[in-house]
Amino acid sequence: MTDADFYLLDVAHPIVITVTIGELDDALKSLETYGNYLRSFNAATSTIADEPEAGSETVLSIRLTIGGDLDPIWTLASDRAEAVGQARFLTWGDRTRIAPTRIGALADNNLAWRRGSVLNRISDERPEMSAALADAARTARATFGDLAETQLGETLRIVEKTATELGIPIGDGLKAMLDTHSVSFSGGTIALHGSDGVPLRALGIGSTRLLLAGLQRKAADQATLILIDELEHGLEPHRILRLLGSIGAKEAAPPIQAFITTHSPVAIRELRGDQLFVVRKTAGRHEVTVVGTGDATQGTIRLYPEAFLAPTIVVCEGASEVGLLRGMDLHRAAQGEQSLTAAGVAWVDAQGVSKIYGRANAFRSLGYRVAVLRDDDAQPEAADEDAFIASGGALFKWRAGCALEDELFRGLGDQGVQNLLGRAVEFLDADLVGEHIQSASNGQHTYAACVFGLSTELRITLGAAARSKRGSWFKSVTKMESVTRDILLPHLANADETLRGTMAALEAWMVRGD
Amino acid sequence: METEIDLLAVERGTVTAPAGCGKTHLIADALSRHTGAKPILVLTHTNAGVAALRGRLERSRVPASAYRLATIDGWAMRLLTWFPQRCGHDPDILSVTNPRNHYPAIRAAARGLLAGRHINDILAASYDRLIVDEYQDCSVPQHEIVVHASTALRTCVLGDPLQAIFTFAGPTADWERQVKAEFPDAGALNTPWRWINAGEEAFGRWLLDMRHVLIGNGSIDLAAAPANVQWVRLDGVNDHRIRVGAGSRQAPGADGRVLIMADSTNPTGQREFAGQIPGGVVVENVDMRDLVVFGERFDLTSATLVDHVINFAGGVMVNVGATAMCQRIETLRAGRARNPPTEAEAVALRFCEAPSYAGAIELLETINAQGGVRAHRPAILRGAYEVLNACRGAQSATPAEAAVAVRERARLIGRPLARRTVGSTLLLKGLEADVAVILNPAVMDNRHLYVAMTRGAKQLIVCSANQHLVPV
Repeated sequence: MTDADFYLLDVAHPIVITVTIGELDDALKSLETYGNYLRSFNAATSTIADEPEAGSETVLSIRLTIGGDLDPIWTLASDRAEAVGQARFLTWGDRTRIAPTRIGALADNNLAWRRGSVLNRISDERPEMSAALADAARTARATFGDLAETQLGETLRIVEKTATELGIPIGDGLKAMLDTHSVSFSGGTIALHGSDGVPLRALGIGSTRLLLAGLQRKAADQATLILIDELEHGLEPHRILRLLGSIGAKEAAPPIQAFITTHSPVAIRELRGDQLFVVRKTAGRHEVTVVGTGDATQGTIRLYPEAFLAPTIVVCEGASEVGLLRGMDLHRAAQGEQSLTAAGVAWVDAQGVSKIYGRANAFRSLGYRVAVLRDDDAQPEAADEDAFIASGGALFKWRAGCALEDELFRGLGDQGVQNLLGRAVEFLDADLVGEHIQSASNGQHTYAACVFGLSTELRITLGAAARSKRGSWFKSVTKMESVTRDILLPHLANADETLRGTMAALEAWMVRGD
Repeated sequence: METEIDLLAVERGTVTAPAGCGKTHLIADALSRHTGAKPILVLTHTNAGVAALRGRLERSRVPASAYRLATIDGWAMRLLTWFPQRCGHDPDILSVTNPRNHYPAIRAAARGLLAGRHINDILAASYDRLIVDEYQDCSVPQHEIVVHASTALRTCVLGDPLQAIFTFAGPTADWERQVKAEFPDAGALNTPWRWINAGEEAFGRWLLDMRHVLIGNGSIDLAAAPANVQWVRLDGVNDHRIRVGAGSRQAPGADGRVLIMADSTNPTGQREFAGQIPGGVVVENVDMRDLVVFGERFDLTSATLVDHVINFAGGVMVNVGATAMCQRIETLRAGRARNPPTEAEAVALRFCEAPSYAGAIELLETINAQGGVRAHRPAILRGAYEVLNACRGAQSATPAEAAVAVRERARLIGRPLARRTVGSTLLLKGLEADVAVILNPAVMDNRHLYVAMTRGAKQLIVCSANQHLVPV
């Protein structure tokens, strides 16, 4: 604990953390012990009343207060006890019973019989070793015996001589023996070891954490709380799943309550929407929102778990838009500007115009900053889009009736269009590109005619040809990524106002992070 | 001694327990067998009952973790303290400065809390079961508290309708119509253990027979009683002298104890009677009124303080001659006395010159040490010493406050019986001795009579003009 743990370093305002716990076992509901502190929680209204009430769950509130003296003070919190100046905390027994097991970075404390170790919770057995250990110490002393004398003979003689010279009576025959105090055993002396004698705390981080989570599950009838910081720390994806399974994440009636932080899409994909909470800081406050189990939401979790980890999400109509954003990201990085990912932007592929708002509204309802980037050749449900915009979502789309390819061929300057054609030829070949152009213009235009000074009509034709049903030119994440990075953005300065405007607005929205 | 009924097997019921048939043992036995993690809640009626039961449980080495013991009212007050909003009471009632109004309000608030089922889960989590002793003394609101609590807890109530003599807290719950309607009959004790253990089983059996007679409001023929029952005949002329003689009889055994049931309407008469029999002491009412008055009127600046202390001494000890001593002090102080002061008078004079709490203690002790003087109200005298000592301390209280504190403490501690204890049936109920003396059965109803007759394990001495005891 240091001053730096206080909000804005202001130690005059104590840190106060109040946690209310329910599903109390009988000892925690004892009138005689906690009568002044028992409260009630009404699940229907999500409110806590200071006293028990019929139809509500009986709960206890635990409060940690840290003032300027940095001394943590744990108390039970109730208004009525506070009113009469009473304060007490859980009894030692109750405290150890409900104390959550924390699986943090250093979890090896739990692999020895130490105070608070999970090993003490999975059964009532305790190592009663003090007598045996004391015996071992005595034996060690006896075995060690005079062994040191031969090695330390000279030192002993010097000490003896000096003492004699100074007239200090130390008796004859100075000895070097094992110091009894150095052979002492403290708590935690008994630890788990493998068959090869290697202590289990030497296991890898991931294995240690996995084992502890499993043990905690076994101890669930005693301690029902577990805290896991950075679930994925040290674990391969398949072991993340194992760990979640071992603490009962997949069981209908969860055996323990786990508070887990994660930044892993693997973990998110594996959990149900009602098990996931998004923690977000808005206007100086932290808010925790449950993700929820609506169909659109649950599907979105499974498909785009990464997106849940970013504050800003762009829902793209298809792979081309995703490629566009990736290209933009690379371009910005190459220009020495802040990359989009660094700005906290994630993008998802809605895979079709009809699915855009199912995704976008799901994210929006969880409070994410969400934008939709779509073509305008096909329209989504107007009501869905209106609702999205009304909820504060941002919409970016190409000019009326245009898909991304149309937009590029309409908006870029002649050099840009030449480069697009060149790239198309690279991706396909010149004959095929020519065929597409002829087919799209009913034989009126040819590849050779596409030179500088393109008419609007020809540009429209090229847009249509690029989207050819028989082989679209740029429709993949990779292709559009390279097109954006190499052609669109380098030539954007010479593009028409509409394309420049849309791109600038999109980029500004993503980077601004408002 | 084996128990006839297993209280731990009673899920919901009433056990009828005649006097001396091992009810307390039954409870102690059940509690000592209780091994669950949660304690059994044991409620009884009076603080004296709590003290007696606690003493008994401690002597039987019942682990304190096995039970929680309280009066019904005390437990109700704790509920109010724990859940003030839900009870919705005026906080002032917990001060109990106005018992006549406050206790009923406390019971009503606790009943409301329990009736609302607000803490049913908490009760079930806190206690293994509920046992209520002395149930015959439960007022109707107290009965309702227990009934509501029984929706969350297995409940067994014990008592004896024939010993229901507390009626000052309002009407008690009717044993047949109200108590047994809620808590079905779980049996009655019928082995007179108190008398069997005293080697007087026949006497005990006769008392059980008489119990049935008294339930039917019949009369008791003293001539037909076993030898343990002695009829001391009043002649209408020397009644007081005869009663003093009866009260002075030696109890069998070296330290046999005698309980003397006097006229409950005449506390002064009880005190005088205690003063007149060897070693007689008065059992005090829980309000310890005379101690409180002593504290309230004890004022170090008062000119008449010495008289107050001497008169108090005269009230709690016999043969003090308080009036004469007060006059002697006045004479001595005026320098008109012919005889030199006695030791007690000398202490009193020094107390007049320099009044202090320590001086008052010294004066009371010196008076008590005089020949022929003895305390027949030792509880009040002991209380006075405690009050005066409390006032000497660093965080000294006023004598009035100290007196109230001492009284409240005394409520919670049982006192060993003196050799001869005088009191009313109300105050002596729940106590037992070798010999019971009834001074005036003619004023007693069947319940008082039954309580009085069952106080002695070896002898019953009845002072009566009539061979037949007829309940009023």
